[in-house]
Amino acid sequence: MMNSSTLLEINNLSVSYPLAKQEDGDDAVDFFALKNISITVNAGQIVGVVGESGAGKSTIGKAILGLLDPRAVVNSGQILMQNKDLLASTESALETLRGRQIGYIYQNPMTALNPVLTIGEQVIEAIEANTDMAGAKAKAYAIKLLQQADVSMAEDRLSKYPHQLSGGLCQRIVFAIAIAAKPQLIIADEPTTALDVTVQKSVLETLLKLSRRNNVAVILITHDMGVVAEMCEYLYVLRHGQHVEQAPTATLINHPKHAYSQALMASVPRIEKRIERFVLPQAEQATIANAALEYLLDKQVDTDVAEVPVLEVKRLAKIFTTPASLFKPKQDFCAVKDVSFQVHKGETVGIVGESGSGKSTIGRLILGLHEITEGQVIYRGQNLATLTDPKDRRDLCLSMQCIFQDPYSSLNPRMTAGENITYGLKVHGLIGAHQAKRLAQDLMQLVGLQPLDSDKMPNAFSGGERQRIGIARALGYKPDFIFCDEPTSALDVSVQAELLNLLKDLQQQLDLTLLFVSHDLAVIRQMCDRVIVMKDGEALEQGDNDAIFEQPQHPYTKQLLSSMPRLTQLQ
Amino acid sequence: MPMSTIKRMSNILWHQYKTIFAHYPLALMGLVGVGLFILVALLAPWIAPQNPYDLMTLDIMDGLLPPMSKLGTGTTAWLGTDAVGRDILSTVMYGLRISLFVAFSAVIVGTILGVLLGLLAALKGGWVETIIMRAVDLKVSFPGILLALMLLAIFGTGVDKVIYALIIGTWASKARLTRSSALSEMQKEYIDAARLAGLANWRIMLRFLLPNSIAPVLVMLPMSLSGAIGAEATLSFLGVGVPITEPSLGLLIANGNDYLLSGKWWISIVPGLVLVTLVLCINVVADRIREHNNPFLQPRG
Amino acid sequence: MLIYIAKRMWQSLILAFIMSLIVFMGMFVVGDPVEMLADEDFTEQDKIDLAIELGLDKPLYEQYFTFAGNILQGDFGVSYVHNRPVLELIIERLPATLEIALLAMFIGLSIGIPMGIYSGIKSSSKPSRLISFLTTVGYSIPNFWQALLLILVFAVFLKWLPASGRGDTNPLFGIEWSLLSIDGLRHMALPAINLAIYKICMQTRLAKSGTQEVLYQEYMTFARAKGISKQRIIRRHLLRNILIPIVTITGLEVGGLIAFSTVTETVFAWPGIGKLLLDSIHMVDRPVVVAYLILITLMFVFINFVVDVLYAILDPRIRYQK
Repeated sequence: MMNSSTLLEINNLSVSYPLAKQEDGDDAVDFFALKNISITVNAGQIVGVVGESGAGKSTIGKAILGLLDPRAVVNSGQILMQNKDLLASTESALETLRGRQIGYIYQNPMTALNPVLTIGEQVIEAIEANTDMAGAKAKAYAIKLLQQADVSMAEDRLSKYPHQLSGGLCQRIVFAIAIAAKPQLIIADEPTTALDVTVQKSVLETLLKLSRRNNVAVILITHDMGVVAEMCEYLYVLRHGQHVEQAPTATLINHPKHAYSQALMASVPRIEKRIERFVLPQAEQATIANAALEYLLDKQVDTDVAEVPVLEVKRLAKIFTTPASLFKPKQDFCAVKDVSFQVHKGETVGIVGESGSGKSTIGRLILGLHEITEGQVIYRGQNLATLTDPKDRRDLCLSMQCIFQDPYSSLNPRMTAGENITYGLKVHGLIGAHQAKRLAQDLMQLVGLQPLDSDKMPNAFSGGERQRIGIARALGYKPDFIFCDEPTSALDVSVQAELLNLLKDLQQQLDLTLLFVSHDLAVIRQMCDRVIVMKDGEALEQGDNDAIFEQPQHPYTKQLLSSMPRLTQLQ
Repeated sequence: MPMSTIKRMSNILWHQYKTIFAHYPLALMGLVGVGLFILVALLAPWIAPQNPYDLMTLDIMDGLLPPMSKLGTGTTAWLGTDAVGRDILSTVMYGLRISLFVAFSAVIVGTILGVLLGLLAALKGGWVETIIMRAVDLKVSFPGILLALMLLAIFGTGVDKVIYALIIGTWASKARLTRSSALSEMQKEYIDAARLAGLANWRIMLRFLLPNSIAPVLVMLPMSLSGAIGAEATLSFLGVGVPITEPSLGLLIANGNDYLLSGKWWISIVPGLVLVTLVLCINVVADRIREHNNPFLQPRG
Repeated sequence: MLIYIAKRMWQSLILAFIMSLIVFMGMFVVGDPVEMLADEDFTEQDKIDLAIELGLDKPLYEQYFTFAGNILQGDFGVSYVHNRPVLELIIERLPATLEIALLAMFIGLSIGIPMGIYSGIKSSSKPSRLISFLTTVGYSIPNFWQALLLILVFAVFLKWLPASGRGDTNPLFGIEWSLLSIDGLRHMALPAINLAIYKICMQTRLAKSGTQEVLYQEYMTFARAKGISKQRIIRRHLLRNILIPIVTITGLEVGGLIAFSTVTETVFAWPGIGKLLLDSIHMVDRPVVVAYLILITLMFVFINFVVDVLYAILDPRIRYQK
């Protein structure tokens, strides 16, 4: 277990980037990536460095290896390894250190590997640079390394190129390269963020195995609390480059002391139980009942009985066809196969699946962004395919809206926030031009933003704020149905919690009907009344929230549930 | 257009100007230079000492005088005179006018054409896209000068023909850039949001796709401009460009060529220096804009 | 990959065909060939006879097939001005152009690429910034003006090198090369330098931006994290990656060389195909212009094809498509 000899000590490290001089003539303001950070790693220990985006976590890894951006300035501090200060070392001393004593695993394996060199060349070059082996010996060792990293058909893979292999496989190869010279420390910078949940689990297991087997210390840098709960013995929490709290993992997760850590832990959606709202210790932006709320509630109350579903999907199927060319036969890809479900008024139905499961495609089919190959979409009792009159179709379909996934690409960058929200409404004559500005401001206030910001451009807002604008935009149409396409996947966990709370509040006030898609089981657990599990285009299991999570029937559902890293699982 | 939009756009332009040029003296000089040249070209009829194409004002006795000589009328020919007594300073100002007019017209029209075709190709897809892109490939497999040469050889010369030839020379790269930019913008979710809002295709193209796809083309514009100026100069120098009655800088250089070896260097060198300085200023600005736009062209090491 | 090559070959053939069609159509827009050939004392009947002789009375598509057929056999007609088969004329002048073009390309590549890589790696250093500025100046000066300046400086003031013409030539494999005589080399120097300056500037800029782009990639940082030495990283990782854009653009730049040789040859009175083209344009020698057009087009289509193939060989992402 824990060896009490200290391997690496970071003392009071501060790193800043001198920003380009401000355009308004202000003096250059330095951006502090790290301020007075101290971290200690013992031999064989797995230490986690967690924080949200902007916390400066990656900078630590690069600082240790001397790989900081040339513009970065180390303002203070030492990094001691075996009594040598790495920050004061020469480049050639560092070169010797890299690979041999410290290995590095980078987040995106596809960009970490050079696309024009074979796997073999890249592994063997690491071996030859850091050990005495060369030639045939190096090649044999390379094969052994790949096998240790659980790479199947190791010898074959040597002659392949990175783009021919999957992300998970490439990441294992990166692991193999990192341990080639049996280093004492591995820096793993978000090693599984780019991977699917099921792949993530086995990749992390491999990392754990390698660490234990060779007594290699690991600094695991990540934003995923579940990952550190499973892997790390000791945690450091960082925020905006500053130290917030440090403690053994169990202590930090169950009894965080600092307000920020408490907020962080409270924001992580749990799988065990569904709760009303995320209990966030900090004051939230309360949604103010204002004119927007009146506007939204003022719509035709349907005389439909509650039993008629708002949305019904029958045997939906979608096949993407690549047309035949002179040299290739026609290729069919079946994205969605025979999916049927219903969504009733006021419900939130969740679709959960990994990438490639077809969950987003279903939404696009329902919204009319893709053409349906087979099956029917029946919205408010009408089969959308039979609606040929464009005006009828439009009137019906405007009440079907979407909240998109990527906050950085879901708003028109060349329109103000207010315009983004009301442009469509104005075009269709649903509101007048002078009403539009007022409505935009009211809607923004409703979703927790400053109404006067409606004149700002999207790039003035953070990711979470942009998503709120997207919600305001969807609400403007007084929708009867909103498709939420992974609306929080791109957000930090604390921002995610706030946004999900907002959605819950809005749903309550406006009696919204939502179809919520995500790959994150815990989010689905917290948000949805009923759940559909999808894989490879098929709906494998459907049921109530509690039923699915507490008594899953389908083997895939069980596998998915067990792969998710959880906060409650400790070493 | 409402006042607020104008205000906002000018704010953006000012902001852009400052970020791009504020701390780069070389680029700033280039920008100022370009501004001056354009100003001179626009004001030429009013500020040139002489109208070199009004035959009444010319006196052959003033011919071939070196710079700083006094003309028969008493004014100084700051940059000398040519064979028929034309003041070089004036001919250069007028020549600048022609050079800039031809280049600007060609690049502006060519860009508009290219951008529209590129957008069309991206939006419509199918055979429309194929035809447009094949035409682009065809044009691109030919170096611009050669193509212009051929066209002018076939269709004859003249200011308008040169402009057409140059338009044919520039539209293709813009179309290609716009199409690939538009294709990647079309993958973005705000376009889906616009579709979802039931907006008509033309509205999506103009209000959503166009403003977000032309950035690469705008970055390329100064370079295109300097290329067009150089191309026109080369064509005119070779004798297949603008006619004698409306000489551009290139033609002036050609005219003075015969006198180069006999010591009357100013007739050819002066317009040459003006041409080179003009193109250099534009290129310096173009480089800075390109650098600003590309994250990996930031200096390191 | 074979599919990729076959596809490109097919596209090249179509391109060549379309270009030939366009040239053919262009010929008809130009003007009446009869009027061009006819003297003043041709009567109407003479003109009609001439028209029949030239095959102008046949339907359009038949004329095209004759046209295409002739080209494939190498018959490009007879020059109005020189009264010799056009192909013969072109082949006669080709070595002169090839000489200076190849020499310019060699100089451009061997100076430009290393300089570009260096200034890409050390992009904020003083030498690099100087190089950047010089290359900008270099390609801001129009080709023809550079030529004039070179003549002024080296031929008129310094009197080191001759101002125009091609010097003595010596035969090799039945072709006359000025590379093989001192006088010839002296005459070649200025035109080759003229072409080379532009090439050097372009290559340097390309190599520099290519290098900067590669250096920005994560795999370069990762290679350093692996403990690989800097030299090895440059040799292996950098070079292999920038080779792709450099090769492709160099191939396409060959076209630029041929284009600019027109200007260079005119200014230096160098008897290559560029000068032939310009003279023919001025003297309205249509068969030569048409032949030049066709040959150049075919050459470009071929070069593009070769570049595409090279690209596939160098980039494994194309070579092994999933």
